[in-house]
Amino acid sequence: MTASGPRTPEHHVLIVGGGGTGGALAHDLTLRGVHVTLVERGELTSGTTGRHHGLLHSGARYAVHDQESAVECIEENAILRRICPGSFEENDGLFVGVTDEDMDYLEGFLKGCAECGIPTQVLKPDEALRLEPNLNPDLKVAVRVPDGTMDAMRMPLRFFATAKHGGADIRPYTEVTDLIVHDRTVSGAVVRDHVTGTEGEVRADVTVNATGPWSERIARMAGVDVPIQPSPGVLLALRGRLCNMVVNRLHKSGDGDIIVPQRALSVVGTSSWTVDDPDDLDVPEDHVQRMYDEGAKLIPAVRRAEFRAAWSAARPLIGSREGAPTGRELSRTFKTYDHRETDGVEGFVTITGGKGTTLRGMAELCANVICAKLGVEAESRTRDVVLLPHTAYYAA
Amino acid sequence: MNAPAPGREAREARGPLRRKGIGPSPSGWLDPRGRALGSWAFAVNRVTGLGLVFYLYLHLGVLSLLLVGESAWNDFLELATTTVFLLLDVLLLFGLLYHGLNGIRVALVGSGVVPNRQRALFWAGTVIGTLALAYGALHILGGT
Amino acid sequence: MVTAAETDAPTPPAGGELRRFRVFRFKRGDAAPRFDEFDVPVGPKTTLLDALRWIQLRRDGTLALRHSCLHASCGTCGVQANGREVLMCVTFVHDLGHEITVEPLANIPVLTDLVVDMREFYARFPDVHPFLRESEFLPEADTPDAIERYARYEDCIECGLCVSACPIVATSDRYVGPAALAAAQRLAEEPRGVDVEDVLDWADAEDGVWRCHAAFECTEACPSNVNPAARIMALRGVLVGGRLRLPGLRREPA
Repeated sequence: MTASGPRTPEHHVLIVGGGGTGGALAHDLTLRGVHVTLVERGELTSGTTGRHHGLLHSGARYAVHDQESAVECIEENAILRRICPGSFEENDGLFVGVTDEDMDYLEGFLKGCAECGIPTQVLKPDEALRLEPNLNPDLKVAVRVPDGTMDAMRMPLRFFATAKHGGADIRPYTEVTDLIVHDRTVSGAVVRDHVTGTEGEVRADVTVNATGPWSERIARMAGVDVPIQPSPGVLLALRGRLCNMVVNRLHKSGDGDIIVPQRALSVVGTSSWTVDDPDDLDVPEDHVQRMYDEGAKLIPAVRRAEFRAAWSAARPLIGSREGAPTGRELSRTFKTYDHRETDGVEGFVTITGGKGTTLRGMAELCANVICAKLGVEAESRTRDVVLLPHTAYYAA
Repeated sequence: MNAPAPGREAREARGPLRRKGIGPSPSGWLDPRGRALGSWAFAVNRVTGLGLVFYLYLHLGVLSLLLVGESAWNDFLELATTTVFLLLDVLLLFGLLYHGLNGIRVALVGSGVVPNRQRALFWAGTVIGTLALAYGALHILGGT
Repeated sequence: MVTAAETDAPTPPAGGELRRFRVFRFKRGDAAPRFDEFDVPVGPKTTLLDALRWIQLRRDGTLALRHSCLHASCGTCGVQANGREVLMCVTFVHDLGHEITVEPLANIPVLTDLVVDMREFYARFPDVHPFLRESEFLPEADTPDAIERYARYEDCIECGLCVSACPIVATSDRYVGPAALAAAQRLAEEPRGVDVEDVLDWADAEDGVWRCHAAFECTEACPSNVNPAARIMALRGVLVGGRLRLPGLRREPA
């Protein structure tokens, strides 16, 4: 049962959810020789993954208040650059202090980054302005960190491409309408194929719930609950690349405190509130206005830039509803739930939480749990295997 | 145990293609709906090209009347000076000017000499062509 | 979606109205495609994608849609709306007129409903696919230590709108098309280690640059300022012995 390539066809894992986590998990399991089917109701990454601003996180944003997440981010940041070469705008980032309060945050920020292993470089205002001429000329300090930009769809697509070429069956436009549950055991799912309009079943030894903010909906089909709080935020895309580096506000997490360059656009984000249904998200006008207002404090040209799009994306945050009205209080880390342990339901695992940057790490953790359940001894190889280019997903 | 998710073969097969066009496939270039300037220029170029080829054969046919004899030719000349015919001559002039000037535009753009100026060249050609057509039409219809 | 009640009558949002959408439907195994009609409540900021997702959520969960980033960066939501190629996520319904016909992109095989099967789109590209390029924005800026040049993604978001709009692709399955040729020109312009002669050889084919008839529909349709038509002509310029026009291939002012 040790496998570094050859299949163990008696083990079949069904992954529900085609976001970054599902893709990375399909890749990890496929490398270990497990047969994987992944079903996604829409296009791959059409849930939350595709919609984020594309930050390749250095973790610095969490270095003070959520160090567990910060460490996860900086480790995965380095791994992703290695396994996905050519997939990132690797221009680093700046944390810019504009007010006296920001300056108060500086010391704790630097200390937190050092504790988490995030390299920093303090820059004086004129040095920062030479790197980024559009910055607020009244900035007081800037700290360079190893942020980057990812293409939120195409980077995860490399995981899907590699898994697919490794033998995984990747099925977009296939929607789970119910799980197959008997005697507290999940043995697969009933799916509707939106390509043919027909229904069918997919049976598996382990079914994985990787649906992000929709985790609870799928979990309920198995009769269990997961403490996921869908927490949307608004993002604003403006025409023109106003900065080449990622520009962050040097303060504790708040609205509109990041500007991520992406191609010839600048994405300003984000805000935070909580909802029950991640399918029905508005784009509150006052949040959009806040993006302009806060973004302009970092780069004044944000105010005059031409609008491209404003949209919402729901983060899957771990933690329950009470005591977390905005979602910012919840942890950004990720967790795997083996429902045999948490709920006495066999054959069902949920992986959720996390950030776009930590997809590979989340998948490794989850795959370890799944392989332990299946008795597959192979270890994860995803830290080292260089992924196929995203175009390989579409190749024969 | 490992029955695949449904619909595998259906996905592998090539699906139907949507094509623009008002008829069968090769007419795609002729569909005017939602098209921009460059496509119109291209479509009119093809139509005038076909028209000019048709005219060429017509012209040869007409010239062959000379072989038939003087009276056949004179009959033709009478026809050739009627208003309708003169208007068709103007139309022919339009076709020649359009096809020629647009041809220069396509040559300049299409050989990469001025790759990014197709609209400007079109309007320049329109100005020159309109003046030439006006001048020509005046002479054809007004008589010199 | 296994969704909400299908019986609730649509109420337009404040400042909004109902608009009729005719949506192309096709499932594999159907004898022929059809158009389904829906009345959708729309407001001043409703995008075409918002409207279609409303239909998917509240009227017909079997409607297949392709989307991901919601901000014209992933290129997945291309469709024809009233015969014109658009990205649904950045197209306001208000700009589309009273009855809106939505069809999948042309010239690329339909997978289901409004989703096209992009394999044929990608199959036309040259072997090397340009993805990261030097950033030409803010040229006066310095770069931080250990970073030689700022990088950015290429403009092309692989949306296929150009291929759908091209009248030559409409008549020929063999023409590689504007997206592939624009990618080749970008490689010739900024090689990034690629052998430019190989790229030019690839482009210098009957079904390569020479098949284009300068309709410029691709440039009109492109949502990302790639200007494929001018790039095709620039490639031709090189092939006929001229110089490759370098920077400044941004779109011609209207």
